[in-house]
Amino acid sequence: MEIFFQQLINGLTIGSIYALVALGYTMVYGVMKLINFAHGDLVALSAYIGLVIMMQLTGASIPNYIVIPAVFIITAIVIAIIGVILERIAYRPLRHAPRLSAVVSALGAGMVIQNGIMLIWGPRPKIYPSDVVPAVYWNIGGVSIGLMQLIILVLSLILMVVLYIFVNKTKIGTAIRASAIDQLAAKLMGIDVNKIIVMIFVIGSSLGSVGGLFIGMYYKGIYFNMGWIYGLNAFVAAIIGGIGNIPGAMLGGMLLGLFNAFIAGYVSTTWADAFTYILLIIILIFRPTGILGERVAEKV
Amino acid sequence: MDNKKTLIGFLIFIIFLIVFPFMANSRWLAVGTTFIIYSIVALSQDIVLGRAGMFDMGHALFFGLGAYSTAILNTVYNVPVMWTIPVAVLLPMVFGVLLAAPIIHLRGDYLLVTTIGFNIVFEQVLKNNLFGITGGPNGIFGIGVPSIFGFQIMTQQSIYYMSFVVLMLTFFIIRNLETSKIGRALHYLNEDSLAAECVGINTRFYRLYAFGLGAALAGLAGVLFAVQYAAVSPEAFSFIQSVLFFTIVIVGGPSSIPGILIGTFVMFVLPEIFRQFATARYFVFGIAMILTMILRPRGVWPAKFGRIPKYIMKD
Repeated sequence: MEIFFQQLINGLTIGSIYALVALGYTMVYGVMKLINFAHGDLVALSAYIGLVIMMQLTGASIPNYIVIPAVFIITAIVIAIIGVILERIAYRPLRHAPRLSAVVSALGAGMVIQNGIMLIWGPRPKIYPSDVVPAVYWNIGGVSIGLMQLIILVLSLILMVVLYIFVNKTKIGTAIRASAIDQLAAKLMGIDVNKIIVMIFVIGSSLGSVGGLFIGMYYKGIYFNMGWIYGLNAFVAAIIGGIGNIPGAMLGGMLLGLFNAFIAGYVSTTWADAFTYILLIIILIFRPTGILGERVAEKV
Repeated sequence: MDNKKTLIGFLIFIIFLIVFPFMANSRWLAVGTTFIIYSIVALSQDIVLGRAGMFDMGHALFFGLGAYSTAILNTVYNVPVMWTIPVAVLLPMVFGVLLAAPIIHLRGDYLLVTTIGFNIVFEQVLKNNLFGITGGPNGIFGIGVPSIFGFQIMTQQSIYYMSFVVLMLTFFIIRNLETSKIGRALHYLNEDSLAAECVGINTRFYRLYAFGLGAALAGLAGVLFAVQYAAVSPEAFSFIQSVLFFTIVIVGGPSSIPGILIGTFVMFVLPEIFRQFATARYFVFGIAMILTMILRPRGVWPAKFGRIPKYIMKD
């Protein structure tokens, strides 16, 4: 039973990270119908940029409770800017091109970011300092919860609730939902779709950057091509939930995190990825548009 | 007129391929063989992706199944390489149809992720040495030399010509596909699957047909790969490779043979030429991919026909 609760905690932690990253995929897909393959690499880049900023700040003898929020905010801003530039250069010119051209452009953008990381920071893994977030653990009935895990869980939850309220209750949120349903109709209603798409990239990239920093702080080791692995897992999470659906991405992320943790705890770690995709295929066979995805009419 | 030009272009290309081994040193001969092998895989990927319009991003799986069939049968069961070919073609074909059957109705992007999934499961099976026959992360070494009527295909040159023969076979198959009822069905399916279904085309059958044919050709290319390197390892069939094949088709130009050949040249031969800039080359590559797509969204050498294939218009 202890293993069960331990894996439950671990699964929720990884699940929140997946969910944060999956939100970036799902929001871009919802409005642009584009799989943004560069998103995972953007997440990896944020882990590196966050590390650089953290090193700069800790060197200047600033207390840790200021350093960490500052790292999160500065990284989010930098990554959001890069995300918007990416959209402007690689995706906007292709908005009316065949869909697969945009997918290849996204793959190319991912390749540029990934190899850019390698050229700047080298191919060897980088290690996050272990003393920034104190390594505090609580032991509750044989189940240990770390301070970092608690921060990840609470902060992700807050961000997701804020995003949900933003999308469902504000005027910009309504505009985002309208553009997701029908870009042309939204344009006719006076919504500046270009502005909405920039907005989507700002939100998606900054949520991804939080995910990237969590990966760095939780796992400690980061490497230049980790964007592929985490990005694909998060994308699978978005698909499981029903891509384009914001609560779906959150649910999918959590489910995938829990599933991964239980497979790792009870079956084997070397087969974890295989099980992830077997789960995906089974879910898609029974619900072809994901768990919360709606049945879409292909043609009218 | 245009058809004549294409024909002449093809003849020049084929003659160049035939005389190439007499001009190249051994390193370039190896590059040429690799080019031919990857061209076959890219052309087979194009049957699924370009002609049938199914977003398949796991094609290296079938390439790998073919290569591993040959490797396992040859090294474990001592079957001569030539006798492994039927298995290396049929096994990927059966797998292609079986894997595609339950997911063929999925919407494009979902299909794309599912095929990536199949490829990753395949990779893990190879790396984890399932049933103890795949050799784990190191792969399998020491694949034997194929022989036809007592002639040993041992030198680099004879392997090159063996690959060349298979490439010609691939051209022949694709040419037949283009001008056949199946090719037309696939074309309409790609243009508008709902309309195709409405005029009585069995979309499910033709989709599975395309998957089976694409997988079988990729498997055949896998045999050549196993012969060329005398070894197979999981990295050669990872899903990153599938992404490369996918990119070749889209960058080169879907359902255009010259486009696919150019795509293969750009993605596999250019990196070989720019080997001295090893670390920066994929950075530049990414930029080139984005630029190509912006400047030529339909590929470098797009297929010429419009909504209706030309050979129908001519009659």
